Amino acid sequence: MIEKKRKSRDGKKHDRPQKFTRKSKFSKKRGKIEDDKRRTGPRLPQSLRIELDRINPNDQSGSEEDEEGINDDVYEYEEGVPEEESKKNRRFDSVENYEYELPKDFKDENVDSDDDDDFDGGENKIAHHKGKKGDLDQLDDDVEDEDDERHLRMLQGITGMPSQAFQDRKKTKVVSEGYPESEYNPTRDVLDGDGHIAIEDLLESIQGKPGYRELRKITRQVEKKGKVLQAPLPKEDRDRLERSAAYEQSKKDITRWEPLVKRNREAPTIMFDKDTDSGFSTIGAIASEFEPRTEFEKKMSSLVNDDNVMAAHKEDGSRLLELNKISLEDYISSRNHIAKMRSLLFRHEVKMKRVKKIKSKTYHRLLKKDRLKGSVGIPMDAEEAKELAMKQEFKRAEERMTLRHKNQSKWAQRIVKRGIDTQDEGTRAAMAEQLHQHALLTRKMNSMKDSSSSDDSSDEEDSENSDGSDEDKAPKLLAKAREKTRRVLEEDDGVPDSGVLSLPFMKRALKKRKEAADEEGRLAIQEFESSLKELEDTDEAKITKTGTVSGRRVFGASKTQVIEPKNKIRSSSYSSDSEAELEAQEDIDIGLGRTDDMQNNINVNSVSLYVDADIPQDSVLKNSELVKDLGPKMTYEVSILQSNTWKKMSSNRNEVDTNGKRSQKVVEPATHNQDIEFEGVGEDSDADSEGQMLDGILSSEHKSSYKLPSQAELIREAFAGDDVQEEFNKDKEEIMNLENPEPEKPAQLPGWGQWTRVQKKKGLPSWVLEEHENAKRKREEALRKRKDAHLKHVIISEKLDKKAEKLLTGTLPYPFTSKEVFEQSIRMPIGPEFNPATAVRALNRPEVVKKQGLIIKPIRYEDSKGSGGKVMTAFSAAMRASFYQNSTHFQISSHCSNAGKPRNLNVK
Amino acid sequence: MGAKQENGDPEDILPPLEQELSHELDMKVKKYLRGEGADLEVLKDKKLKGQLYTRENLYGTSAKTAAKTEKWLLPSAGGYLEAEGIEKTWRIKQDTIGREVDISSAKNQYDIVLPDFGPYTLDFTSSGRYMAAAGRKGHLAVVDMKNMSLIKEIQVRETVRDVVFLHNEMFFAAAQKKYPYIYNRDGVELHCLKEHGAVTRLQFLKNHFLLASINKYGQLRYQDVTMGEMIGNFRTGLGRTDVMQANPFNGVVALGHSGGTVSMWKPTSAVPLVKMLCHPGPITAMAFHPDGHLMATSGKERKIKIWDVRKFEVLQTIRGHAKTLDFSQKGLLAAGTGSFVQIFGDFSGSRNYSRYMGHSIVKGYQIRKVAFRPYEDVLGIGHSMGWSSILIPGSGEPNFDTWLANPFETTKQRREKEIHSLLDKLPPETIMLDPSKIGTVKSAKKKEKPTKKEMEADLETAVEAAKGTAMKKKTKGRNKPSKIAVKKKEIVERAKKPFLDQQMAEEEKVAKKKRKIGEEIALPTALQRFARKKATA
Repeated sequence: MIEKKRKSRDGKKHDRPQKFTRKSKFSKKRGKIEDDKRRTGPRLPQSLRIELDRINPNDQSGSEEDEEGINDDVYEYEEGVPEEESKKNRRFDSVENYEYELPKDFKDENVDSDDDDDFDGGENKIAHHKGKKGDLDQLDDDVEDEDDERHLRMLQGITGMPSQAFQDRKKTKVVSEGYPESEYNPTRDVLDGDGHIAIEDLLESIQGKPGYRELRKITRQVEKKGKVLQAPLPKEDRDRLERSAAYEQSKKDITRWEPLVKRNREAPTIMFDKDTDSGFSTIGAIASEFEPRTEFEKKMSSLVNDDNVMAAHKEDGSRLLELNKISLEDYISSRNHIAKMRSLLFRHEVKMKRVKKIKSKTYHRLLKKDRLKGSVGIPMDAEEAKELAMKQEFKRAEERMTLRHKNQSKWAQRIVKRGIDTQDEGTRAAMAEQLHQHALLTRKMNSMKDSSSSDDSSDEEDSENSDGSDEDKAPKLLAKAREKTRRVLEEDDGVPDSGVLSLPFMKRALKKRKEAADEEGRLAIQEFESSLKELEDTDEAKITKTGTVSGRRVFGASKTQVIEPKNKIRSSSYSSDSEAELEAQEDIDIGLGRTDDMQNNINVNSVSLYVDADIPQDSVLKNSELVKDLGPKMTYEVSILQSNTWKKMSSNRNEVDTNGKRSQKVVEPATHNQDIEFEGVGEDSDADSEGQMLDGILSSEHKSSYKLPSQAELIREAFAGDDVQEEFNKDKEEIMNLENPEPEKPAQLPGWGQWTRVQKKKGLPSWVLEEHENAKRKREEALRKRKDAHLKHVIISEKLDKKAEKLLTGTLPYPFTSKEVFEQSIRMPIGPEFNPATAVRALNRPEVVKKQGLIIKPIRYEDSKGSGGKVMTAFSAAMRASFYQNSTHFQISSHCSNAGKPRNLNVK
Repeated sequence: MGAKQENGDPEDILPPLEQELSHELDMKVKKYLRGEGADLEVLKDKKLKGQLYTRENLYGTSAKTAAKTEKWLLPSAGGYLEAEGIEKTWRIKQDTIGREVDISSAKNQYDIVLPDFGPYTLDFTSSGRYMAAAGRKGHLAVVDMKNMSLIKEIQVRETVRDVVFLHNEMFFAAAQKKYPYIYNRDGVELHCLKEHGAVTRLQFLKNHFLLASINKYGQLRYQDVTMGEMIGNFRTGLGRTDVMQANPFNGVVALGHSGGTVSMWKPTSAVPLVKMLCHPGPITAMAFHPDGHLMATSGKERKIKIWDVRKFEVLQTIRGHAKTLDFSQKGLLAAGTGSFVQIFGDFSGSRNYSRYMGHSIVKGYQIRKVAFRPYEDVLGIGHSMGWSSILIPGSGEPNFDTWLANPFETTKQRREKEIHSLLDKLPPETIMLDPSKIGTVKSAKKKEKPTKKEMEADLETAVEAAKGTAMKKKTKGRNKPSKIAVKKKEIVERAKKPFLDQQMAEEEKVAKKKRKIGEEIALPTALQRFARKKATA
């Protein structure tokens, strides 16, 4: 059937080009028929058209289609004018529509057919399916058309009415097929879908050309196998299928990654330490990679790297460059200098600003005066001269005191040490300048002395001092001081007869004070003398020298002279000791018969002061001898208040006696001591402890001093022990009650439930009793649960320490589900103090280790086996590195621990 | 020797020496593992299991390395006296020992005689390099024990009851007549701690930088020496004492009282953690084993008791008296009384102390303090005539860890260590009986349900809060007092509601329970009249 249809179509199409050619001949005359544009354009007059039709009627005869076309033509021709007139709007609309679309659509068959749908969709479809039948129908239609026209003419003729009146029925058809077939106006069957263009159609045109046969073969094969294309599935189903397919695909993709991801997840640490090299980092590195490429560069490099140049540079250039080099110190000093200058400038500026702002005229006047004075330099009147002299004097004194310009500074000393001659000129000049300055300062003083009116003695001394050496100064000073004190002592200051000071008590006080001062002065004199003596003793050679210089009197100071300040210390120390003693007594009183303090007391009484006059640093070592060599040179036995000591001692004795009984109560009888492992020493009885100290276990005769305690004492001791136990028990109960309070006894409120006998008889309501019982039981349970429930002699506080609570976790940390596992997992400390250095890193390594500056790239697919090793190798490499880097710190301690220990002593 | 045991395990085919070595190593590894790992099989969480597994592996390697390090880098073993035949170790005298040992050790046998300033008390730095000696009558001295040079001595001219080094030899605190003072090693007085009052004993907690003191009136004070803050001030209420010792393991300070009790304190609690009755008479001395598990006390009733501090039980009672006690690093116990020092040793490892050595100083000297010198086999004895030093073989730890205590410390190392220890300073609340509990899960709260009274109080407070809410000022007409009153009432109701609901739920629960019980024990109606009535009080 299809074949047939095709053939028929072939036939038609075969005709078409011929027709076109023919038509093109007449295209000018028959514009209207040719296409829509023409139709709208100027038309031939009707009479002319009729003429033309008459001239070539044979045109209309031929094939079916031709006839059809002619029919159309005829129809147009006949009905043209009235149609246009009657359907103006329609015509314009449709015409415009066709004008643009048709030529385009013509090329594509399918679109054409779609277009046709608008006209007669249903028919079109039928045509598609029925093929041949559609053709027949069309033929019928054509025949009908012809009949209709005839009929119309007839009606016109009969009625005399215009043809429009009868035309309604045909209108639609007219529009759709109102033009002759051409490439722009496809025939109706084409539009209806019958005229599909098949591959055969296209092939025909290339028939006989090379490759045609092959193409044909292929097409035939395709046709043979060709099946009917199924209608697509609904969109939802299609999407679902697509999704599932995509899912399968992506699943396959992702499962590849699984081992990789799993490994990363399971790894305790992920290391990002590879590929850290991100190219050159410094300019130097980049420059080192430079290679000359262009000619110029090459030339340059050849010049630069020339051996001669290099050698020259090495020999000379570097030295030249050295000159440019500034040492760090120089730089720092210059910078400091600049900074200092700047800050000085700034301060000056600030000061000037401030001064400038001051509006006071007087101030400015004074300022001006000052400035003028300064500019004058040399003072005019005596007052000023004196002032200046004083200033100079001060400066001089300062100079003498500090010896600032006498090569005292570090700098100068260093230079002197190195030798002045080796220094350069500048330094030497500076040194000279300094010395000059010093000389200037002192000389100025000399010149000023005349003008200043200081007393002679001091001048004398000054001159002396300036002459004399340093060693001479000390005795002189001492002598002078002594002289002065003497003068003061001898001076009789008159006590005023009137005023407050004349009052008797004031007088007394003054006298007392004077006495004290005298005493002090005398002591001072003594001291001076003794020290003078010492000085004399030490360097006799000097004494002769100084003796000539100053006619100093030498006081016969004895060697046994006691040093004054020590005396004071002694007395104060004694007092403090007596305090200590008192306290010690107190200790005994309060301290429950501590026996050891007794001995202290006795020791305290023999007060002696240990004076380390010369070598305080070594005194302990000096004394590191046995008792027999006791009494080193530096020890002074002080026996002040000897009698008092004895008194004290005796009083202590008394106290000892009184305390004796009490302290003895804890002493156990000797019979108990017989089988004990550790035989205590006879310190137990205080009374006889002074005289006979026992020699511990090795002495066999120590028992002789031991006294059996009396029965009464033993009993008392036993009771004391009981008391302690009871007290403790009471204490424990108290604490228990405090921590687990006893429930209140059930009781009724007065007046409640007691108003009838019945209720009274019933007693307390059951719920009250129940509650009480519950509380009691609870308490007992709590008490039983206490840690010290089974320990009679222990009270363990159950009190919650709120501050310590924060050191415990309130809840189990997330991944853990059992307390035991968690607590066992934290049992090991992980700090460096508790682990060897090799393990610390691994224990504390964070989950992700990333080197600085590293870009973390997205995970890359690797073959599971190969890469599995890789991560691990990186990890183990890090481990290894850490092992070699850190030797354990145990090492350090090992090398010097052997010294000084007796080990595995085998004593025979 | 070459013969193999037939019934031995197949894997035990190592030569006996190596077997022994591996066994030794295993023991050490066990020590460093600090207990068993958790049983991972019970865990359901695979991820956690994996993590813990790797962790345990790391712990294992760490322990193994530590054991190996100990074996190879800490080879020195402590010495001890070994008696042969019928001779007894406690009969061996110091001069006998002195003849046998090397010169550097023999140097440590000496007596320093300082007769004037009364009984001396001693304290060593943790490295054992320096010693502070304090004579009762005001003589304070710091001595470098390595080269036997006196660093500084001062005379404070008043009673000195105790002296203690702070974190290093640079500072020491002395309990003087009225107040404790802190001096630096040059003898310069840095601080006078007036708040402490007349202190009888001082202790310094090195890890916490706390200076603990007990004064005449039985007041225990803790002062942070870094910032000077007073951390704790507690009235013990048990009278005056001069027996005080800090447990080196956990920092708990123990006081011995006249009533025979020992109380243990921490700076964050005003009541003693533990109070135990140790002796029927007053306690004269106390000491803690360095591992913190043993405590030795001596009472006036002439008994020395050794306690397990973890269980608070007596392990051993030794007859004898001690005025001062001290444990050495290796666990020897020195007891001094009168002019005699007794050393007890525990060489079987069974916590059974027996007589090891003895030493008597010159007759008439009264021992005030015995102190073992760390990292040396030396015992320092402070007595009424100065101090003495004797050799006790096996008392000191032979290997020292320079990170912990370095007797050869340079200035720089000392400074660095100071900084480190300051950074690692523990807060005072970490002092507790069992510091290994830190970080663990809080024990469940005792009471899970609030009592009725508390509920009522809560309700009341909630209602009060609701009543107190400020009302918004609405526009005219909507701000009527009646409306406000209604609103307020509503708010109060709303606040009450959760409590009431809770109450209702509870009541219902109780009722249900009751019903259940009632059903169970319900007698037939006919017999109910014979049911026993509840006894009335």
